[in-house]
Amino acid sequence: MNHMKSVRSWIFSLFLLSVLVSCRWGGDKVYRESDFLLDTVVTVSVVSGSAGRAGQAIEKVFRELKRLGGLLNFYSSKSEIREINENAGVKPVRVSGDTLRVIQRAIEAAEETNGAFDITVGVITHLYDFRKKIHPSADAVRAGLALVDYRDIEVDPGRMTVFLRKKGMMIDPGGITKGYAADRAVSILKKEGIRAALVAVAGDIRGYGLKPDGKPWRVGIRNPRGAGDDIFAAVELRDQAISTSGDYERFFIEGGVRYHHLIDPKTGYPARGVISTTVIAPLAVKTDSLATAVFISGVARGMKIIEGLGYNAIMIDSGGVRHLTEGIRDRVEFIKKDN
Amino acid sequence: MSLLKKTIKETSHLNWILLVFLLFFYLTGFIFVGRLMPAGETVIVEVNGKTVYKLALSEDRIVDVKGPIGVTKVEVKDGRVRVLYSPCPEKICMKQGWIRRGVIICVPNRVVVSIKGGKVRGVDAITG
Repeated sequence: MNHMKSVRSWIFSLFLLSVLVSCRWGGDKVYRESDFLLDTVVTVSVVSGSAGRAGQAIEKVFRELKRLGGLLNFYSSKSEIREINENAGVKPVRVSGDTLRVIQRAIEAAEETNGAFDITVGVITHLYDFRKKIHPSADAVRAGLALVDYRDIEVDPGRMTVFLRKKGMMIDPGGITKGYAADRAVSILKKEGIRAALVAVAGDIRGYGLKPDGKPWRVGIRNPRGAGDDIFAAVELRDQAISTSGDYERFFIEGGVRYHHLIDPKTGYPARGVISTTVIAPLAVKTDSLATAVFISGVARGMKIIEGLGYNAIMIDSGGVRHLTEGIRDRVEFIKKDN
Repeated sequence: MSLLKKTIKETSHLNWILLVFLLFFYLTGFIFVGRLMPAGETVIVEVNGKTVYKLALSEDRIVDVKGPIGVTKVEVKDGRVRVLYSPCPEKICMKQGWIRRGVIICVPNRVVVSIKGGKVRGVDAITG
């Protein structure tokens, strides 16, 4: 009997100890890897109980994004986008399912925003050289504007072709590709059995699931007039995506005027009135394109678009005033500057 | 009587001492791990995704980092880090200046300078 007692209490002690040890050392961890893809830095964080499985899943994501980059790069001579642009006004071009879908999503975004997001503005944006501080002449902008209209993109899903109706037209899907890529990454990770992950294709970020500590992913929003690591707010992401467009990403200042990369497709000039726009929605392909569209639309129209779609946004106007949609007010934490 | 209650009642003094002893070891583990780990933050310098330097943020120094288009100079000083020189055309990484947290990225020279171990205000990523 005594012997039995002793055995039982030993088992009890060992059981308690193993519970304590497993709380401390066992369970899931966050595995994070970065790579240079899509002309930017892609960081994938996954929650997994195994380094091997996490690594394998991340590797699959990187391979897929590399493939997407090859299809969708505006500047590459071998991309499908280049082929479409070279055949503008000539003939429809047969493309992959991904290119077709990205262009369809871009047209959808244009329709939702009354043309504030328009990938045919590529014909004007490519006249800018932000490094050499070159902006196009008024005549060049006027000539370019004649070729800007998303309704001149013909997509034939049956034949899998894309055709730009006018010669000289150009599409640049740069404002939607990163979001599309983040969504693709998330579907790959889910298929690989990853329970929680955060994919950041530069500033286009999508997260799902909870971190090992049971908390949601937290994303900081860059201060538009601060250093690169300076954030003014933080938002918790619960199975959602977030993107930010700002006039500080690619720009130069000439004669006191800031020339930035967010060109208004209606005027051909950089949009004024807003300095930063953050959009939160279920899909990154949406947040990416809408952040640009809402920036261009300005505060009044921009907020209306986002609220109409049932999403959320945080905008900062050129006076530094913050504007928030109703649904985000209690979910955003503003951070005071500490240095 | 439930099995748990029965087990607790039947556990001998010696075994309770053993349990307390094990608990003590377990808890002191937390304190010692905290003490033994480097207290400060670390600057990680990567080229093409491969870590080439791990530097203490508390130690002032300048390192040369060879990337595909040339040598990027990274400076650590007074608990901050910056890209002192970069061969890239736009010099966005240099213009970013000193950072105490977060990351500096030079896409053309494939260099990523990041600060790890510090409190990045508890955010997992930055948009913008």
